[in-house]
Formats: sequence, structure tokens, C-alpha cells
Amino acid sequence: MSEHNHEHHISTAGQLWAVGIALLFLTVITVVFGKFVPIPSPFDIVFALSIALIKAFLVAAFFMNLYWDVKFNTMLLIGAATFFILMFSVTLLDTMFRVDVVPGF
Amino acid sequence: MANHSTTHPAHLHHHFVDSDQQFDAAKMGMWVFLVNEILFFGGLFCAYIVFRAWYPDLFQEASHELNTLWGAVNTAVLIGSSLTVAMAIRSAQKDQQRGLRINLLITIALACVFMVIKAFEYSHKFELGIFPGEWYTYTGFEHPKASVFFSIYYMMTGVHALHVLVGIGLIFWIYRRSVKGEFSSEYYTPVEITGLYWHLVDLIWIFLFPLLYLIE
Repeated sequence: MSEHNHEHHISTAGQLWAVGIALLFLTVITVVFGKFVPIPSPFDIVFALSIALIKAFLVAAFFMNLYWDVKFNTMLLIGAATFFILMFSVTLLDTMFRVDVVPGF
Repeated sequence: MANHSTTHPAHLHHHFVDSDQQFDAAKMGMWVFLVNEILFFGGLFCAYIVFRAWYPDLFQEASHELNTLWGAVNTAVLIGSSLTVAMAIRSAQKDQQRGLRINLLITIALACVFMVIKAFEYSHKFELGIFPGEWYTYTGFEHPKASVFFSIYYMMTGVHALHVLVGIGLIFWIYRRSVKGEFSSEYYTPVEITGLYWHLVDLIWIFLFPLLYLIE
């Protein structure tokens, strides 16, 4: 029973606003490059998803406080992401290599 | 270590050693639930990926039927609400009762704005005859698989909107409890884990927005 009574992290208002503004800024970037400055395919989706991943990192690390939290919760999130990747990868191994897609779909 | 049988705070359940252990246990429980949520939405994202791989041209053309402006506004609204939830937790941690209540109310207001915009988007599509599956009757966009895209659109945004509604209910519940003065820097666990849920709703939308609205 060690290190109980540790202090919970309290973010400053400035830190939280900075994260919020960064998220809004990244949203503007996504829209500008998604709609007005075309990026050749397939790099458009790579770009859009990279920005989305950066935003997801900001939310998870600084709004959901994983950066200061016990590491086990970060492991749970990474575990969920890993199993999600596994889920659609294995599905694609089937659906991408069918001679013909299932009739009606 | 204090003997918990003699003096302990009212919120502490007897099977925990102390408040910190109880806090960490509650938080971990919420994260396990969020893992469930991610994999639940993961199934929908998986359907999206498979159909987009099969019909890339469909997704590109059908995406133009969605209104990027309203999608972007709703993204900003959700990010704003995530910020106010984080501020509400900060207020609770610092014993600022008024700040806690105000931030929770702003969050509920922003969530309602999101739902109103979503309702306008849906009703506009319903007027055009853009329904999911076999009920699709829109003639402005011809593609043999047009209904597939919109089935996925309605399913993903619909389940997400359902989560927003649940979130509004939860945050209102937290607000009611904060009015009664139940939260302080000593005990704010329900605020914290409701916040985690709300941030996840924001996180899902961060991926839904570019994947549905922004395909060129």
C-alpha cells in the first residue's frame, strides 16, 4: 500500500484553452485541405486521418488526462485501438480478395 | 495509513482502502467501458472501410450530398463542449462550485446545439427522399449503390447522436448533483468519469467528420 494520497493533476485554464484552440485550428486545416486545396488521392485520406489522429491524441492525452494518469488506462486505450485494427484488417483480408462481391451488397 | 473504520469521508465505500484507490478504480472501470464503446463503433467503422474499399467512387460522389459547413460547425461545437467539460472538472478540483455549474450548463447547451444542427441536416435529407436502405428515393444523385452510403451515414451518425443524447442526460444529472453541493476537491469522481464519456463522444466525431463529409 504505497504512494496513496498522491495529488491529482489539475490542468491550468491556459493549458485547456490551448488544447481547445489547437483542436479548432486542426479542424480548419482539415476542412481547407479537404475542400479547397485538393491533395491527390490517396494522400488526401492519409492526410485527413493523420490530422484526426493528432486531434485524437490531444483529446486523449490532455482532456482525458491520460498524460498524467496511471499507465494502465493508456494501455486499455491502445489495446482497444489494436483490436480495432485487427478487426478491420482481418475483415479486409476476406472482402478485398473475393472474385465478386456478395450479390445485393 | 489511517484506519478507515474510525474516520472516513461520506463518499468512501468501505471496501476501498482510501479515496484515491476508489477514484482510480472508478476511473479504470470507465476506461474498460470506453474500450467497449470503441470496439462497438469499431464494427461500424469496419463496415465503412469495407464498403469504401468496394465502392470508392460512390463514397466520393455521395459525400457531396452532405453539408460540409454544418459538419464543420458541429465539429467546433463538440470541441467547445469538450473544453467546457474539462473546465468543469478543473472547477470541481479547485472547489469552485459556481464555475462547475456554469461549465456544465454551457456543455449541455452546446450538446443541444449539436443535436439541433443534426436534426436540420436529417430533415433536409428526408425532404429530398434520402433515406437509408430500400426507402431511398432521391433522384438527384444516381448511383446503383447510393443507399449503401446513406445507410452507413445514418447508422454511424445516428448511433453517435444517441450517445450525445445520453451524454446530455448524464451531464444534467451531474449538474443536479452539483447544485446540491455533492462535489468538491475531495470528491468529484462522477464529474471526472462523465467527462471521460463526453470526450469519447467528441473523439468519435473527430473521425466521423472527415470520413463522411470530406471526401473529394
